[in-house]
Amino acid sequence: MSGPVLAWSRLRPTPALQVSAAAVLLAFGVGALLIAALGVPVGDAVAAFADGAWGSSYALAASINRALVLMLVGLGFILAERANLTNVGGEGQIAVGGITATALALWPPVAQLPWGLAFIVPMLGACAAGAFWGGIAGVLRVKMGTNEVIATLLLSFIAIWMVYGSVQSEHLLRRPMTSSATLPESLEIPVATQLPLLTGDAGTPLHVGLLIGVVLAVAVALLLNRTVTGLQLRATGLNPRAARRAGMPIDRLAIGALCAAGAFGGLAGAFMLQGEQYTLKAGFSSGYGFDGLVVGLLARGSATGVVAGSLLFGFLRSGGINLEMVAQVPTALVVVIQGLIIVTLAGAAIGIQRMEARRK
Amino acid sequence: MIDPELAAVFVGSSIRLAAPLLLAATGELVSERAGVLNMSVEGLMLAGAFAGATASWATGSPLLGLLCGVLCVLPIAWLQAFLSITLRANQIVTGIGINILVLGATTLGYRAIFGSRSRAEIPGLDKWAPPGLSEIPHLGEQVFRQAWLLYAAIVLIVLVGWVMRATALGLAIHAAGTSPQAASHSGLKVSRIRYGAVLFTGFMSALAGCFLSIGDIHTFTEGMTGGAGYLAIAAVIFGNWRLGRTVMACCLFGAATALQFQLPAMGIEVPSALLIALPYVLALLAVGGLVGRQVAPAALTKPLPAQG
Repeated sequence: MSGPVLAWSRLRPTPALQVSAAAVLLAFGVGALLIAALGVPVGDAVAAFADGAWGSSYALAASINRALVLMLVGLGFILAERANLTNVGGEGQIAVGGITATALALWPPVAQLPWGLAFIVPMLGACAAGAFWGGIAGVLRVKMGTNEVIATLLLSFIAIWMVYGSVQSEHLLRRPMTSSATLPESLEIPVATQLPLLTGDAGTPLHVGLLIGVVLAVAVALLLNRTVTGLQLRATGLNPRAARRAGMPIDRLAIGALCAAGAFGGLAGAFMLQGEQYTLKAGFSSGYGFDGLVVGLLARGSATGVVAGSLLFGFLRSGGINLEMVAQVPTALVVVIQGLIIVTLAGAAIGIQRMEARRK
Repeated sequence: MIDPELAAVFVGSSIRLAAPLLLAATGELVSERAGVLNMSVEGLMLAGAFAGATASWATGSPLLGLLCGVLCVLPIAWLQAFLSITLRANQIVTGIGINILVLGATTLGYRAIFGSRSRAEIPGLDKWAPPGLSEIPHLGEQVFRQAWLLYAAIVLIVLVGWVMRATALGLAIHAAGTSPQAASHSGLKVSRIRYGAVLFTGFMSALAGCFLSIGDIHTFTEGMTGGAGYLAIAAVIFGNWRLGRTVMACCLFGAATALQFQLPAMGIEVPSALLIALPYVLALLAVGGLVGRQVAPAALTKPLPAQG
């Protein structure tokens, strides 16, 4: 895929890009048919979708914030994928990141910290928690030979229920019960621990996560394509035995890759909590981990692909919410579109590989 | 002292909660033994629950509902098989993709069909108790009077156990999941076996979904499977890919789920999140090699080589 590419071939869209575009168009086409079948004028629905996705500065900012979460999970995914490890645990890594960020943000000394540390410390804590959660799967993989797909999936479910459990008890993160109507959720985190808005205006809630996300995306792209570590990860993934012979620390690389993927997931959880929701509730990760996993899968190992895919899915989510509120088309329509994109691209993966091989 | 009435309610509800897991996990076991980690069980169950409930509501006959549930799920299972076996796509991706697709499609379909009358009464499967057993005081009614599909499930599971253990077909399925190349060299049609196994998972998942919607509570709600399909996969893992242990795992998971309703009724405060997460923790310990040795089928998740 990478390596020396002739300049002229860069001008033509790659097979992967062509097929991806076709799959997205196909899915949107089916979506339009479904809208028509539901008896809603397609034009109205499209207008409502566009309005919700990018129609106002608020909508645009909300879409980008959503895309950032997906992008982080996706970047973590391609990092582990390079070592031939499939991290399907994004949802759980978001969950433990969210719990840790909440716990730290609600701990009074943290909110008093100067120089922005008040919001940075919870983020770092979330990264550490996510790295730990991903690391469990890494250690099991290396020491016990446990399939990381199964381990990360199970860890996800455990973490999702940990969120549920931690907001059920006042001894943990539940807000003090003042009446029987007190919701099972945490207190709102202090303003100092919330991610600062870039515009300083709540009408455009674009937060500093955008800067962090851009830096991380570039860093992952460089790490994978321009560094020794990137090469070692690839070698470990392609042929662990040869990599070990060549003196590479393949166990440490595998655990490190899953830890890194987990840290990205944990940071995504911190973004969701400190940048958007501000209170921890059961089910707060609401499928972002699985969507991010899909973004990572569809990117086929490229950081640019992750950025493109996360923007697509971020706008899809925002537009879908407005679709239901304004045009009375259930958000589920967007879920159908997403499912179609995944299934089509997964089915076409081998075909794309063949086409790419033929181009070389 | 434990109140016998309460104990009977507990056992009865454990069985009811375990039943869909038993059906789905047995199907998943066959597919995994043939080498396909079929992550789409969740979606297959949800599709079965939706189609079964809708057809039962439309025709007034739960039996037709059940039939329709199976007929609607088989093409989806075929899609999973086609993608992962013929197109050699990543089994996990296709599974998750199908789950997302079905979740969206059933929610959309539910809103379109039931939108205005969401509390529609849906005719459910008849309850049945083996003659004699229902007369046992305290226990009989609570434990043995169950939707007849549960008893059919027991027969099916015994049948699957016999096929896997004592027939040539069982051996062929085992070979397809352990050493597909050797199986192919000795003349077995590995891809056909895998197709059959995935379709069988679809059949069993459809029954599991129908048990949820028209066997147990007689209604459909959006995303009503709520992770039961993933729990079934966890049961197969915890059961070390063996039928007897998988059945036991399903019963254990069913009991853990029943406990979270039962304990508060008995005035015992246990964090319910702990009980719900327990099956996943147990499964993780099992795959982590901390509870005995786990031996997954050697070619699990591995597509066939190009020649097949």
